[in-house]
Amino acid sequence: MEKIIIPQPKNSTLLGQLVSLYNTFKGTKAEQNFEFDLSSLKWTCPLLVLPISAYVNSSNSKISLENCDIKDYLGAINFPQGVDNVPEIQKVIQSSKSYIPISVLKRKDKIERERLESMFASLVYQSLDTQVSGIKNALYYPITELVTNIFEHSKQDTGYIFGQFYPNKNYLDICIVDQGRGLKATYKEDKGLDFSDGNAITEVLKGHSTKPNKERGYGVWTSKKVVCEGLNGHFVLISGSAALVSSKSSDKLIALPDFNWHGVIVAYRIPKPARPFDITPYVE
Amino acid sequence: MTKENPTIIDVAKKIAPVISSRDITDILRSAISKAKTKSVNLDFSDVEFISRSASHALLTMKEDLHRKFSNKKEIIFINTGENIQTMFRAIAANRAVPRPKPTFKPERINIGSL
Repeated sequence: MEKIIIPQPKNSTLLGQLVSLYNTFKGTKAEQNFEFDLSSLKWTCPLLVLPISAYVNSSNSKISLENCDIKDYLGAINFPQGVDNVPEIQKVIQSSKSYIPISVLKRKDKIERERLESMFASLVYQSLDTQVSGIKNALYYPITELVTNIFEHSKQDTGYIFGQFYPNKNYLDICIVDQGRGLKATYKEDKGLDFSDGNAITEVLKGHSTKPNKERGYGVWTSKKVVCEGLNGHFVLISGSAALVSSKSSDKLIALPDFNWHGVIVAYRIPKPARPFDITPYVE
Repeated sequence: MTKENPTIIDVAKKIAPVISSRDITDILRSAISKAKTKSVNLDFSDVEFISRSASHALLTMKEDLHRKFSNKKEIIFINTGENIQTMFRAIAANRAVPRPKPTFKPERINIGSL
């Protein structure tokens, strides 16, 4: 089995994580099995750790944590397998109070999925330890919209979600991953439209829904708006061989040659909100 | 004639405190269809948040069940907190007058340039 050494990101920005993720999967082919060696990592973030978790769970790949400085942390978040039900997440939280485990959402049990996502969102909110008005809405809005997209569009039965608040750095990272058909194939299969991966991302951000109903297609761009404009955060969306990296002041569509993520990865980072937030202008 | 008491469905208990997915309407629709009364109240007392997608799906379901010829149901949303009301009102307004969608022109770069 081929070994992949996960490269330590050059810095802690989302872009740094994206480059490390790119170098991890660059040149790989779909359905290959790997041994992912995490021994080089001194720290990690959801954008790097969650796609690897999803990949390992959907293949016969393995992980190697020998001499890994973050072995305890990875154990505390239940990497790579995650948890897929509420009693299990409660058990993990009791044993490692500082960390929220990786959550695995399954299509087949709608109520269990909804309750697990509910608990995840609630744990993320609690981790911020804030009483600032409207922040719960600001946090829950993108999580719920982006997770629901997995089960509406990806044709996959499993989705992954993970989040971590860094109290010393005062920011929250969230990552949501699926290994479904991806945006390009969704437009092709549902509407007969041929887009490149980059153009498919652009269409999503223009609110171009693959559903016939004109009232659809608001979830992703309004979520990005909440993150970047409302919360002054950064937003990354990866599908196939393209990635969008956005902030309040810029949108960059990045070509990822020799890389192909089958599905969609969304990650965002928001500073701990200090001011009240009103969701109304973002949903109207 | 005595007015029938509506059936009450506790949404948080039936589903979860955060209502996220569009497809949970299947579960509520089934519970509503089984109700022996024409009037059904969806009780949002312990619902902390409802997503835009789920709000849209519930409003659509409410209209569908009202339009039905047989087993027609009158759905009322009760005990909605301020944020739940905000979401339903925003989605209902958008259904009436859809908000224009954005233009989006990102700068295109190659990862090698970073």
